[in-house]
Amino acid sequence: MENEEKKEISRRDFMKITIGAIGGLIGLGFGIPAIAYVVSPALGKSQAQQWIQLGATSKIELGKPTLFKVTITRQTGWIVNQEELAVYVLSEDGRDYVAMSNVCTHLGCRIRWIAGQDQYVCPCHNGIFDKQGNVVSGPPPRPLDRYETKVENDQLFILGG
Amino acid sequence: MLTRFANWLDERIGWRPVWDAIFLRKMPKVNWFYTLGSATLFVAVNQAITGILLTIYYVPTPDHAYDSVQYITTQVTGGWLIRGLHHWGASVMVVLVVLHMLRVIFYGAYKYPREVTWLTGVVLLLLVIGFGFTGYLLPWDQKSYWATTVGTRIAGVVPWVGDWILRIMRGGEDLSAVTLARFFGAHVWVLPATLMLLVGIHLYLVIRNGISEIPKKEGGKQ
Ligand code: HEM
Ligand code: FES
Repeated sequence: MENEEKKEISRRDFMKITIGAIGGLIGLGFGIPAIAYVVSPALGKSQAQQWIQLGATSKIELGKPTLFKVTITRQTGWIVNQEELAVYVLSEDGRDYVAMSNVCTHLGCRIRWIAGQDQYVCPCHNGIFDKQGNVVSGPPPRPLDRYETKVENDQLFILGG
Repeated sequence: MLTRFANWLDERIGWRPVWDAIFLRKMPKVNWFYTLGSATLFVAVNQAITGILLTIYYVPTPDHAYDSVQYITTQVTGGWLIRGLHHWGASVMVVLVVLHMLRVIFYGAYKYPREVTWLTGVVLLLLVIGFGFTGYLLPWDQKSYWATTVGTRIAGVVPWVGDWILRIMRGGEDLSAVTLARFFGAHVWVLPATLMLLVGIHLYLVIRNGISEIPKKEGGKQ
């Protein structure tokens, strides 16, 4: 008799378990969508890549980084903005082009080509890059980012977004 | 393990008497109509959670409100669900609070010693309506714009002070960025803070006075 009673779940415990389970389900029902909702923009793919026209290749002086500035439209959240993209283009032979972002690979300041010094200089923490974009000194962890390029009808394009 | 922790905590903060007062209090024999208040509370919590989530993307200015709402419904994962829960929850809230009030009326539960519970209830009803009115403007689409134009004009027909009320609600002559911003402020700060305070008092009184019994039929056995 006593043993039998022990095996059975008491009414009180049954209610506790049921209420706990229903509460847990409701919690999950809110919790999972809530987390998805909050992190979703962070997981979204970055902007689709597209060919961006920089300008005429004739503007590029051989062996000297030339700065191109273009305005692109980007969509962030529900806002469509105009943004300026600045790209240094280097060509040694007029056939192969290296297009480098002017964003420092350390913490994102804008780097500048200093002709007299033959180097790119980042004003924020003294990052120095050589003409090819390789790190010479300072904190930047990797060379300047490069864009894929193509030339069509003497116009230079980069792949970006 | 869990009981040991519960005891450890109880010894230090004394949560058990509070828990017992809330969940193990004496109850008369009641029926399902007595759950309407708890149902309202449940939906109120739903409104709070989904409302907080909506503010993560919503922007209360005329140039962004509509687009940010569209962004929530069409771009954000689960955004349609969160907004839908908040949208439909708002209507459910009004329905439940009215049903709850009708139960209180029909069972005479507002009588001594529960008059103050009733009065806090009246304020809660007004708050719920206030939530609906201010929230309706926030999507800033044609429907909400004109509904608020009309709604504030209704307030404007109050004798003597009507024009004042209308101007204070709109924050000026017409519906504008000022209107949207103050409706937002009321909807997410003023009303929730007041609601929480009053729900707290309301529930304290419900517990302190106990739940009323179902009235007996006249002539029935005592
Ligand atoms: C946000 C809105 C409200 C919430 C969350 C809420 C919650 C509750 C809860 C949980 C109870 C316990 C008993 C029951 O559920 O029936 C209760 C009782 C009560 N409510 Fe409300 N209530 C709200 C609005 C109102 C309104 C609008 C009125 C009337 C004007 C009102 C008047 C009362 C009274 C008089 C009692 C005591 C009933 C009794 O002891 O039998 N409440 N409320
Ligand atoms: S950001 Fe360029 S060196 Fe730190």
